Amino acid sequence: MTVKRLPVYLLLDTSGSMHGEPIESVNIGLRAMLSTLRQNTYARESVFLCIVTFDSKINEVLPLTALDQITLPEIVCPPSGGTFLGEGLEDICARVERDFKQPNGDDEGDWKPLLFIMTDGKPSDTMVYEEVIPRIKALPFAAVIACAAGPKSVPDQLKQLTDKVVSLDTMDSSSFSTFFKWVSATVTAGNENGEVANTSNSRELPPPPPEVQIVI
Amino acid sequence: MAIITLTAADGSEVQFYDELKAAGAMKDVYFSLNRDYVVAFYRNPADAAVEERLSVITGIYRERIFNQAGGDYWKKVFCWPTTTVKYREYIGVVVPFYSDDFFFKYGSRNEDMLGIKGREKEGKWFTSPSNRSKYLDPRELGNWLQQLKICIMIARGVRRMHAAGLAHSDLSYKNILIDPSSGRACLIDMDGLVVPGKFPPDVVGTPDFIAPECVMTAHLKRDDPARKLPSIATDEHALAVLIYMYLLLRHPLRGDKCHDLNDTQHDDELAMGAQALFIEHPTDDSNRVRPENIKPAELPWKDPALIPYTITGPYLTELFQRAFIDGLHKPAARPTADEWERALVKTVDLLQPCANKSCEQGWYVFSNQTQPICPFCNTPFVGKLPVLNLYSSHAQGNFRPDNHRLMVYSGQSLFVWHTNRDIYPNEKLNDAQKKRVGYFVLHDNNWLLVNEGMPDLLDVKTKTPVPIGGNIALTDGLQLLLSKESDGRLVIVQMVGE
Repeated sequence: MTVKRLPVYLLLDTSGSMHGEPIESVNIGLRAMLSTLRQNTYARESVFLCIVTFDSKINEVLPLTALDQITLPEIVCPPSGGTFLGEGLEDICARVERDFKQPNGDDEGDWKPLLFIMTDGKPSDTMVYEEVIPRIKALPFAAVIACAAGPKSVPDQLKQLTDKVVSLDTMDSSSFSTFFKWVSATVTAGNENGEVANTSNSRELPPPPPEVQIVI
Repeated sequence: MAIITLTAADGSEVQFYDELKAAGAMKDVYFSLNRDYVVAFYRNPADAAVEERLSVITGIYRERIFNQAGGDYWKKVFCWPTTTVKYREYIGVVVPFYSDDFFFKYGSRNEDMLGIKGREKEGKWFTSPSNRSKYLDPRELGNWLQQLKICIMIARGVRRMHAAGLAHSDLSYKNILIDPSSGRACLIDMDGLVVPGKFPPDVVGTPDFIAPECVMTAHLKRDDPARKLPSIATDEHALAVLIYMYLLLRHPLRGDKCHDLNDTQHDDELAMGAQALFIEHPTDDSNRVRPENIKPAELPWKDPALIPYTITGPYLTELFQRAFIDGLHKPAARPTADEWERALVKTVDLLQPCANKSCEQGWYVFSNQTQPICPFCNTPFVGKLPVLNLYSSHAQGNFRPDNHRLMVYSGQSLFVWHTNRDIYPNEKLNDAQKKRVGYFVLHDNNWLLVNEGMPDLLDVKTKTPVPIGGNIALTDGLQLLLSKESDGRLVIVQMVGE
């Protein structure tokens, strides 16, 4: 049986301005994402990850690979270098156009892919960036999530690309997991709406216990 | 007494008595007039690098943590410096005064024979079994549930710092105040935090919490590329040690193996560094604690044969293995603070109250066995015990196990983070989400789930809804749909015991 894949693309900024806490934050974010996926049986079967970094060059860190075969490398960045976000996105477009399997007869194809971009949001190739935005929007992404990294990140330009802009330092494994939706699934609505009479118990229940809050 | 008045970097007025109240390793501490903050001066004159670091810690790093989602929650977890002052050539940080809960209320036994009432509750007091059994007033001790809660707060705080790319650099039981009686913890000394490649650490850490790779390279020069300095990875080691110590009251690496008979300092360097070995390593037993070396007041904690780390339950057991077996000498394999937080929170759902009312720990983790027994006082569980197995749907409406169990006891609560996979109990919960949606009670020898806030609650096999205000008896094999939302959970009940 062929697995129906959920392709997840990660585009990571390794430009000079990411040096220090932003790149540390990216590494912690990646580990949080991996750990949440590994705890999820559905994700373990279906998620395929691809990691691409960009500075003045585009660099494939991990080709589209099944989750259980991934050892996460540490992402490092040179002390200086441009922020070729536009070219990075072009690279992602080419990959999706090449790799995404559309439904075809008996083959269900892939789940709609996800794209996570982790950057401080200051592309130096603004022309390319603006040109690639419509291309990204035309692709069948289930969601494009821009994670603004580092205390000096500028989320404004990322909002042109997607309305899902989050601050990477507030993300943890649970907040990443909410983005993982297996989107082409049809949700079957429940049909049990019948009211049932509240049969009162012959013996009265003791009063409810006081609320216990442990984990917060 | 003389009062000194200064204008702080943020423009506020700072006033303190010119009387040294406490002295740390690097700083001298003075109290404000009404003890709402302290001013801690670095004993060494300020250099530009320290000044810049303190300015981002009190500035942008602080704002990012306290002004984003969950900001108010972090005020409880971090004692974060608010601004800096300069006096002559010295720089000081202005830090909020610790909450009252973090000062001993009763102190030690026999009318506070040690005279510690009013002193800070450093975590170190509470991790020594003999301190606990001989000195500390029992009202200060709390129980195992509260120790677990303390660990959750610590892991959550460290997770938040790490998510911002910041490392604490000196996590230890000296830099965390804890209040076992209420289950609270607070990270202090935040002015030492480290950003790899940007702000190097001031200190190497506190003995017993320094990661093996730092101990092994401590003899090298600071700028030697082989030298390992405090970082997020070394914080992760310290965090694992802290959690182990708070839950098991012993150090994970301090066994009885001798590494150098002739030189105790070298022996210690090897024991914490190059030859560090988990005392409960499954295949290498050379660092076991020898029972003959344990003092009676340290029992049963000091003896892993009596209280093995596996009593912490399946989720934490796996992380301890990764921290002290796989990741002890391989920093990248260590569990993250996020993973610890998750596992600790899930472990709370495995707790059972001990049937022995005088059990000092009061709670224990259900061991996945059909005849549960308290590992601390050996009192067995008597009666029927329902266990809820949580499932959730991802696609196509089929439900898969979440590797998450909830033990039932009288008064146990059900929350939205049980009924919906996408909701997670942390600093981001809103007030409505903190409210209980149901509870369990033993009534007429039946275990009942009382529905208080689950509009969709349904007995799946009979398709019978359980309305809000209604209840349903828990029986073996019962399937309950807790929520019809797309990430709603289904539970399957197992009955244990009798």
